[in-house]
Amino acid sequence: MSADKSTQKVTLTSNENTTIEVDRVVAERSMLIKNLIEDLGDEAVVSSPIPIPNVNDPVLRKVVEWCEHHRNDATQSADDENDSRKKTTDIDEWDQKFMQVDQEMLFEIILAANYLDIKALLDVGCKTVANMIKGKSPEEIRKTFNITNDFTPEEEEQIRRENEWAEDR
Amino acid sequence: LADLLNLCTSGQLSFVHQFVSPLLKKDPFTTLPDELCLRILSFIDDPKVLARASQVSRRWRDLLSDDMTWKNLCLKHDYQRRLSEVQPPPTHPTVTPGPEAQSFGRQDEDSMGQDVSGALTSVSLPATFEGSANARPVLRSYKSHFKQRYLVDAAWRAGGQNVSRNITQDGGVVTSLHLTPKYIIVALDNAKIHVFDTEGNALRTLQGHVMGVWAMVPWDDVLVSGGCDRDVRVWDLSTGACLHTLRGHTSTVRCLKMSDANTAISGSRDTTLRIWDIRTGLLKNVLMGHQASVRCLEIKGDVVVSGSYDATAKVWSISEGRCLHTLQGHYSHIYAIAFDGQRVATGSLDTSVRIWNAQTGECQAILQGHTSLVGQLQMRGGTLVTGGSDGSVRVWSLERFCAIHRLAAHDNSVTSLQFDDTRVVSGGSDGRVKVWDLKTGNLVRELVTQGEAVWRVAFEDEKCVAMALKNGRTVMEVWSFSPPAEML
Repeated sequence: MSADKSTQKVTLTSNENTTIEVDRVVAERSMLIKNLIEDLGDEAVVSSPIPIPNVNDPVLRKVVEWCEHHRNDATQSADDENDSRKKTTDIDEWDQKFMQVDQEMLFEIILAANYLDIKALLDVGCKTVANMIKGKSPEEIRKTFNITNDFTPEEEEQIRRENEWAEDR
Repeated sequence: LADLLNLCTSGQLSFVHQFVSPLLKKDPFTTLPDELCLRILSFIDDPKVLARASQVSRRWRDLLSDDMTWKNLCLKHDYQRRLSEVQPPPTHPTVTPGPEAQSFGRQDEDSMGQDVSGALTSVSLPATFEGSANARPVLRSYKSHFKQRYLVDAAWRAGGQNVSRNITQDGGVVTSLHLTPKYIIVALDNAKIHVFDTEGNALRTLQGHVMGVWAMVPWDDVLVSGGCDRDVRVWDLSTGACLHTLRGHTSTVRCLKMSDANTAISGSRDTTLRIWDIRTGLLKNVLMGHQASVRCLEIKGDVVVSGSYDATAKVWSISEGRCLHTLQGHYSHIYAIAFDGQRVATGSLDTSVRIWNAQTGECQAILQGHTSLVGQLQMRGGTLVTGGSDGSVRVWSLERFCAIHRLAAHDNSVTSLQFDDTRVVSGGSDGRVKVWDLKTGNLVRELVTQGEAVWRVAFEDEKCVAMALKNGRTVMEVWSFSPPAEML
């Protein structure tokens, strides 16, 4: 057991071969990295960089920024998960600002959070997208995400009728 | 590029903006893997949003037909699937309202938790099973299940259809009302028992009692009834024939329950409980010990609990025919009792409700708040709902032994109440039927057009029946909240 775990640094390497040095506790917000460190042992990790082959440099920096801000958050236990997910789509202010990025970046963050296994970040990302869908008509959703309507007029009419039940009655 | 943009006029920039901004947009559901798309959808709990999203494109429609999303939504809305929808119907009937319904409620939750793969099968059983199972279970997708329950819920809030029928030309008091999968059964203080189909169409009248009928219990096609004439009668509901007249009680029969298809237990003003074999018509046992009228009883397994005007409740073993515990503490008559196999709840004229441990006989809690007789109570899971002559309905937590909601329900007595996972329905001597949201305690709506008094109410998922006095006549109102077939 090394006493100075809190001050230990690890180095992450993006798929563009750029490196980022972060506190070990920050990197361990990622369950993937945390498990990796446990498996390989402290020594190996501290001495050589950890490759993150699925994530590019800007996205990795963004993810690290999030982890820095949330370094002291309590990690979610598996039991909590259902409860907290049942809650509505509230996102705290800092996270909302953090997620004000273009859609490409937003989706990349979601993918990276999923790959790195950072559940809280993944949920913030998913909630952000969910909020972009809420309260919109199908046409407004298409505009929001630049989606082409590929239904034939007949199909569109049919699916509209199939879903009429959920509209305000 | 920045230099170039700096040279542009605002008109040109606006053009660039219009040109560029769609390029920065991206369809999340074609960018992300299904698993993550569904995770995004799991954060949406408004069916309207999901329904609209499914109209965006083919890809979105396909994603939104994924049943896990709808299963989540079912969970969030507490739309448990009925056990009967995922399994063949149970062989013995559910008797409503009553504790029998409670155990089913819990099984429903279990099946909800386990049933993941089953949700996707909307197909009927393989042909090989068809011969053996004559009642094929209807396996529905979670989406159709959600839609069904959502529409039913909407109808409960504002909608539904009702028919109203005069039961008598005068104003007989309705003493008992039961809904079963086959029948609506109504007993009156004028000695008659009326049997209707589930739509409220009259089937037959059971005649034989010579004075008011005060208690009855249905079991499949059998009905057991009792009243002022001291007789307990066993009827065949399908023919109207009286199969047995069971004699022995020396005063009014005040309460009746069945423990299995063959066994009925009656409680009487003569202070005894009697255990009957209704197949043979023989008395199996007499439970003696109460000092005054036996007002209410409840059965679970081999245990019957009884509440008496002697201010005690007793826990009895049915097979041994002896008293296991006497629950002492109330200061006055006990009018209502509920029993879930572990806990006994009693409501008394002393205005309190007590919770007892059925195994040890000890009093676990005294729930105070009512200001008059507590004559109505139902227990379900960790929740108790009580109704009093003070007109209030209270929802209690049995985990914390405290009131969750205090509802100023009726101007006068609460004459009848029932609740399930979603709602409480109460009827009062002020002539009103009110539907309450169990979770929030908010009034959802009033159901009947107001009469002079409501005698009894009972409901199921998609139906509510109220017996009321209107313009001097006894009237039955049957409400249906089933969505029309063409909507499903």
